Amino acid sequence: MAEFSWEVRSPLDRALVAGPYGVRGDAGVSLTEIRNFDLVQVMARRGMAGDMAKAAKARLGVAAPDAPKAVQSSDATLIWSGPDQFFVLSRGGKHTTETLAQTFASFASLSDQSHARVLISISGAKARTMLAKLSSIDLHPDAFAIGAAAATSMDHTSVTLWRGGDKSDGQAVFNVLVFATFAVSLWHTVLDSAAEYGVAIGHSEELA
Amino acid sequence: MSSSQSHRLTSGGLIDRSAPLNFRFDGKTFSGFQGDTLASALVANGVKLVGRSFKYHRPRGILTAGSEEPNALVELRTGARREANTKATTAELYEGLEAASQNRWPSLRHDVMSVNQLFAPIFVAGFYYKTFMWPAKFWEMIYEPAIRRAAGLGRAAQLPDPDHYDKAWAHCDVVIAGSGPAGLAAALAAGRSGARVILCEEDFVPGGRLLSDGGTIDGLPAADWLARTLAELASMPDVRMMTRTTLFGVYDGGTYGAIERVNDHLPVPPEHQVRQRLWRIVAKRCVVAAGAIERPIVFAGNDTPDVMMASAMRTYVARYAATPAKRPALFTNNEDGWRTVETALAAGLQIAAVIDARGDVSPAHRSLASKNGFTVLHGSVSGVDGGKDGVRKISVSLAGGARAEVEADGLAVSGGWNPAVGLTSYHRGRPKWRDDIAAFVPDGAPPGMVAAGAANGAFGLGACLREGFEAGAVAARDAGRNGNTGAAPTASDEALSLTPLWHVAGKGKAFVDQQHDVTASDIELAQREGFESVEHLKRYTTLGMATDQGKTSNVAGLAIMAAVSGKSIPETGTTIYRPPYVPVAIGAFAGHHRDEAFHATRLTPSHHWAAEQGAIFVDTGLWKRAQWYPRAGEKDWLESVTREVKAVRSGVGFCDVSTLGKIDVHGPDAGAFLDRVYINTFSNLTVGKARYGLMLREDGLVYDDGTTSRLAEDHYFLTTTTAKAGLVMQHLEFCRQVLFPELDVQLTSVSDQWAQFSIAGPKTRDLLKEIVDPAEDLSNEGFPFMGAREVALRGGIKARLFRISFSGEMAFEISVPARYGEAMARNLMIAGKPFGVTPYGTEALGVMRVEKGHVAGPELSGTTTAADLGLGKMMSSKKDFIGRVMAGREALVAPDRQVAVGIKPVDKARRLRSGAHIIPKGQTPGPDNDQGYVTSVCFSPTLDQWIGLALVERGRERIGEIVHAHDPLRGEDYDVELCNPVFYDPDGGRQRG
Repeated sequence: MAEFSWEVRSPLDRALVAGPYGVRGDAGVSLTEIRNFDLVQVMARRGMAGDMAKAAKARLGVAAPDAPKAVQSSDATLIWSGPDQFFVLSRGGKHTTETLAQTFASFASLSDQSHARVLISISGAKARTMLAKLSSIDLHPDAFAIGAAAATSMDHTSVTLWRGGDKSDGQAVFNVLVFATFAVSLWHTVLDSAAEYGVAIGHSEELA
Repeated sequence: MSSSQSHRLTSGGLIDRSAPLNFRFDGKTFSGFQGDTLASALVANGVKLVGRSFKYHRPRGILTAGSEEPNALVELRTGARREANTKATTAELYEGLEAASQNRWPSLRHDVMSVNQLFAPIFVAGFYYKTFMWPAKFWEMIYEPAIRRAAGLGRAAQLPDPDHYDKAWAHCDVVIAGSGPAGLAAALAAGRSGARVILCEEDFVPGGRLLSDGGTIDGLPAADWLARTLAELASMPDVRMMTRTTLFGVYDGGTYGAIERVNDHLPVPPEHQVRQRLWRIVAKRCVVAAGAIERPIVFAGNDTPDVMMASAMRTYVARYAATPAKRPALFTNNEDGWRTVETALAAGLQIAAVIDARGDVSPAHRSLASKNGFTVLHGSVSGVDGGKDGVRKISVSLAGGARAEVEADGLAVSGGWNPAVGLTSYHRGRPKWRDDIAAFVPDGAPPGMVAAGAANGAFGLGACLREGFEAGAVAARDAGRNGNTGAAPTASDEALSLTPLWHVAGKGKAFVDQQHDVTASDIELAQREGFESVEHLKRYTTLGMATDQGKTSNVAGLAIMAAVSGKSIPETGTTIYRPPYVPVAIGAFAGHHRDEAFHATRLTPSHHWAAEQGAIFVDTGLWKRAQWYPRAGEKDWLESVTREVKAVRSGVGFCDVSTLGKIDVHGPDAGAFLDRVYINTFSNLTVGKARYGLMLREDGLVYDDGTTSRLAEDHYFLTTTTAKAGLVMQHLEFCRQVLFPELDVQLTSVSDQWAQFSIAGPKTRDLLKEIVDPAEDLSNEGFPFMGAREVALRGGIKARLFRISFSGEMAFEISVPARYGEAMARNLMIAGKPFGVTPYGTEALGVMRVEKGHVAGPELSGTTTAADLGLGKMMSSKKDFIGRVMAGREALVAPDRQVAVGIKPVDKARRLRSGAHIIPKGQTPGPDNDQGYVTSVCFSPTLDQWIGLALVERGRERIGEIVHAHDPLRGEDYDVELCNPVFYDPDGGRQRG
């Protein structure tokens, strides 16, 4: 019998060419695709939002966001995705639909989105300037602080956007979760938008 | 240096004399300096004639120095970058600029069509309406093309634009239009308050009239104050100065449109940069400090080259050190016009005379005149002797009735100032009339917007600074910023002392709208013919309808209308103002979304594998789907598709069906929820089974269909058609949140989570046995038709397997998490190799569904009921569901409805085409006996002939009847037989076996 290998392939596998892009010199925008994450949509059962929040706190150590925010626990990021619902983003199989099912039992419905999204982390001196071409959200530091999140659209494509912790050099980090089948299309739009600032492209398995 | 710049002053001006630039106009080489506009460089080279007018092909020069310019329109650049109707007055000069005049042939100086002037008496207002009425069919063929040739403006490039454009958002507390004294003062106040400020300036240098008029502010010369202020603004991190940016419109919720000409000042944008960028600015408050536009006085010959607005003339002299005339005269009705005399004298020019329409001239001006040896005439200019080489002599009607003549080589005209009321009027605000300045000022501005300075009718420098500073401070405060504004800049105020004068009677054409060649007598004619309302006047004469939108002409036009109709100007009123304030290129609105990026695209998980196989892709909504997989030697698509169908029907094939919408339906009430949205019942579906479902719209017509599987007691997996995936998700969310909030159900789109493949054909099970863990029972008993469950695959991952069939063959659909999709396709090829597995595309999929009589998009057309599609029996009578009541309406259950039926050509060799109409045999085609149409067709390799589906009146009762297919679009007529729509395996044995 034939042998089967199940290679995991990011939708951006071919479109993403690591290295510099656009204007040469210091890259104003840094684009990093985060690969191989676990992403679970958690939606409260009717009338169970309070129990869901408690269960989240008990398991993950942080309260589930009840407004457009992203909160960080020791090994997961909880990102608001709508009223009484949020994503759990993690890596290494720590928080999957299977493991979270025990936590949320009858409080919430879980849906695996690990393969449904592509995660792009955007930083750099020109990150905000570039993102202003794609997003109607005000990303001024006062208006979109660390942990701010938005369910919004970019390039007519539905995305979840949140600001992660700043990098060690103080630069802001913006994370974009986009539906997997739209990812190549959005990627090209992002490259077009960023090219004039110079781009550094890479991928990583570490969550920003 | 290719030219002398004969009209350039030896010193002064905001030009960089160390940066000379060569440019070409109508093929002739000239030179100018960095800091010039094309217009100022032409002025500096003594070029007076720059274009021909729209209707009469009259020679025209440069009237203004700003974006209100009606005459000096050129074709800028060449080839694919050629831009028609570019205003020379705002186009920045760059090295190698090429421009050509418009609307002339064979040359600007010798224009054949200027013969139109001889026929001027017939080219009056409404000429086209009156003349080209009959015969109607001549309009498209003869009249319109001829008129367009004769009365056009510039020529479009007619090549794809090689440049890029983009769009961006910006957010602020206060957006300010204009960086003149009022705008700068507003920015200072708002910025010092701590507000986030965006200051838009359409010029490439901030400063507005300060750049031309100078003055003293806070005891400093204007230029020094400007430098100090710009430095202070630059030091504020949240104040953003955007030059080359015009705020052109205001939209709901405090959103403003602006166009930034990022690289229009360069021959070609630098690599990776855009030419223009469209901004959507979201602002809490807006200060319109857009200034005012000096208005002409209408008199005979007022369109002669080198008759120029007085403010423009001093801009050319002071800002650009270029002299439109060496010995100009001034015609004014106000004090401001005299500033041009002062500027000209300071530059060493002579003044031929000042014609002041007012009764009285100040002693200071009198002594200026006597000191500099020019006369001051009380009266009005009634005619200009001149032509394409400019002004020679000016006729003056003196106040006492006598006439005088003045020899001059240019004429500066000032009729007063009109505040730029565009932005404040775009939400149907009607400007109000102010007698003291004889001008309309803003009224009824959109919420959050206020005008300040000249835009508000406050023309003095001191008043501009005062109003601007106050408006900026209030706007910042209203936006919640309360920092210390510090002191307002101060300056003294100049007098305007205006006596209104709109039109001077005289012999010869007197132009109101120079761009559209509308004369004072056209307005009088419109009034005589009853087109007295300003909106009628505008459309009848085309006054104000050109690319300049009548910035210099509208108020004069309605003042003349007021005079001839015996009304006051405010009674006559203004037309409605609409954005954009300046023309905006469509390319800027399109931005990134052109060519391949016209819309977002979606790729299936196996896309790259399919591309490797040489698949031909088809756009299906946003998706790229593999349509067929051609093989070497196949001569056309039909041969490939036929091979794919035969391979499936005789062996096994697979197709990526990941484009179907997929929705997780969770919760204790998931079954009850599905019972309400589908016409059939799902609450009684057992775990591990799939069922076909059909949903209706509220109006009772079919909305969508698909299979839904129950994976757990509280978890269903619902699929939709590709086309309706997003809409069905929205519909279900609406049902969940609004219609049935009492149900405990949660929905998640998982369309992108799963890569799903249909595997079909009699050898499907053989293939699956290769790849599915041997412990899984795939037998008919272990995995019966419509079974659905998770299975383990060899190699260590899990998949969902559904025994459902669209093709009519023994078939499964298998889904794996999407990042395994490409591996899945490769592994299916490996697993199926012994069985001759064949990947197939959407065409073969479509052929097999037609053979099987399954309805799809063409039948689910939004006009069909469940019964029309032969699915009426699925409608449960034991429960309520969306669309149930409305589906019972008389017309929807009428016995003569057009219903789905199969068709076969009587001549077996004939090709069918969808869209053909069904007519009873022997009858003449027409609406009275049209009985339906062909919805789907295919060549059936199985039956070796074309077959189709059609919606036909009482079709199911007429099986076997020969009817006529009438296809007027393709000129085809033929007979077809109505038949059972299930052409293939009607008892379904193959898919159950």
